[in-house]
Amino acid sequence: MNPVIRKASFALHSRVLDQVGLLFRASVSVQHPIQGSLAFSNERQYRTMPTHGIGKYKHLLPKEAPKKKKERQQMKQIKTATDAEYGTLNVKVSGYDMILVEHYSQYIHNLCNRLGVKVAESYALPTKSTEVMVMPEQGTKMYVDAILKTHERIVQLSQLNATLCPTFMEVLLKNQPEGIQLSVKLHTEADYQARFKARPELEGLMAQMT
Amino acid sequence: MAAPCSRMASRPIWQFITNVRRTGLKHTGVRQISLGSACRAATQTRSKTESVASPWKLYGAVCLQRLPVISQERNPIEDQFAELMHQMELERSLLSDHEQRLLEDSERMTRKQADNYDSDEEEADYGGQETITAQDQEDTWEQKLKHFQPALRDRDVGGTPLGSVERCLGDSLVLLVQQTVGKETIWLLPQAQWEAGETLRQTAERGLSSLPEADFKATFLGNTPCGVYRYTFPKEVRTERCVGAKVFFFKAFLSAGSASQKEPFLWVKKTELQGYLKPAYLEKVDRFILNL
Repeated sequence: MNPVIRKASFALHSRVLDQVGLLFRASVSVQHPIQGSLAFSNERQYRTMPTHGIGKYKHLLPKEAPKKKKERQQMKQIKTATDAEYGTLNVKVSGYDMILVEHYSQYIHNLCNRLGVKVAESYALPTKSTEVMVMPEQGTKMYVDAILKTHERIVQLSQLNATLCPTFMEVLLKNQPEGIQLSVKLHTEADYQARFKARPELEGLMAQMT
Repeated sequence: MAAPCSRMASRPIWQFITNVRRTGLKHTGVRQISLGSACRAATQTRSKTESVASPWKLYGAVCLQRLPVISQERNPIEDQFAELMHQMELERSLLSDHEQRLLEDSERMTRKQADNYDSDEEEADYGGQETITAQDQEDTWEQKLKHFQPALRDRDVGGTPLGSVERCLGDSLVLLVQQTVGKETIWLLPQAQWEAGETLRQTAERGLSSLPEADFKATFLGNTPCGVYRYTFPKEVRTERCVGAKVFFFKAFLSAGSASQKEPFLWVKKTELQGYLKPAYLEKVDRFILNL
């Protein structure tokens, strides 16, 4: 309180005695930080003080939901087919050329977004390497000629309208690039489980328990 | 054709209880432009409860398409852009395993040629000479590439007839046949008349399989027709029972097929349809053939 009052009174005098006022104000301002910091850090102002709770801001921020610990991945519900719509469909794009495979799967995804078909998931299956072994006419030993890698991408659609389906399939087939295989199948739980790696130690322990 | 299709989807078996009398001869079908909105064929079947024969004859036709085999040619702009992108990616890319091996081998060769070459030191580092260098592999691959003959992209150079399935490999083609409808012989999509007790899709399949000297294996897309063409007969043929005809089109893709190279067949692109089909017919057919 005191430094504040002092400052106000000096401001009034400064019009008459400019230089003196400046000097005094300077001296006051030098002392001010020390006194001010002491005052504000050691004591909280009492509730009747007008400046009570002056530094509070948390009540102004929007409420945040408490952080949840990440739960274990559960399988999404596999939808069944109704009269007007198909269930969960897996559109699998596979081929040797990764650029074409990825671009085609992106094209399918974008097409679904545009047509309003809901895309549940879009993921890649692990790449499979195939070794091409050539046996020469003379001799018995086969040697490795080339390594071909098969890439696979899956776009999972959830609600495909039965009336939209023929047009959708036609667009897909007409834009299929060369060397790419397209297959549309129903999604099963086995497909979902196949994505996970086997854990031999865990399985060993479970076998020991039972 | 969204509305009629959605109705049909809910009833995949299209039951026509109305009797359509089948005569031996087909009526003359000088196609007149039917003024009015796109045919609401469903209105006819609403009269199921009244057993009055519908005055329209029904046909099922199939729009058999051969999918494109190869991708289309690029525009000049697309070409330039593709080159530009390729160059940019090349400049930004890192060396692959094979290219690194090439570099290492060439460095090793230069070091060997140098005067102060210490073979023991080299072998200690690299663990013995490799029998096949990366450069040798590249040479063998290039030799193999020279032996490979890619097929011609554009087979029209030899002047394949219009009836050949292998015409424009980059576009999708539609099958046209020449049939006699009434007095005229005109080009149209293969069709057959509907008989009581079968679905329209079966009619279309029958129309396809009954083509003479042709063996096309087709996969149909869905149970719903994709288009309708309605026309009224000329006044002299019109009777009380038969006012006109309605043709329902179904889409199908060619999975395997062989046909003798005889005249009645034509595989045409969408742009060439104009030269063969009648204008009113073409207008309706154009609506459902996608030009992708």
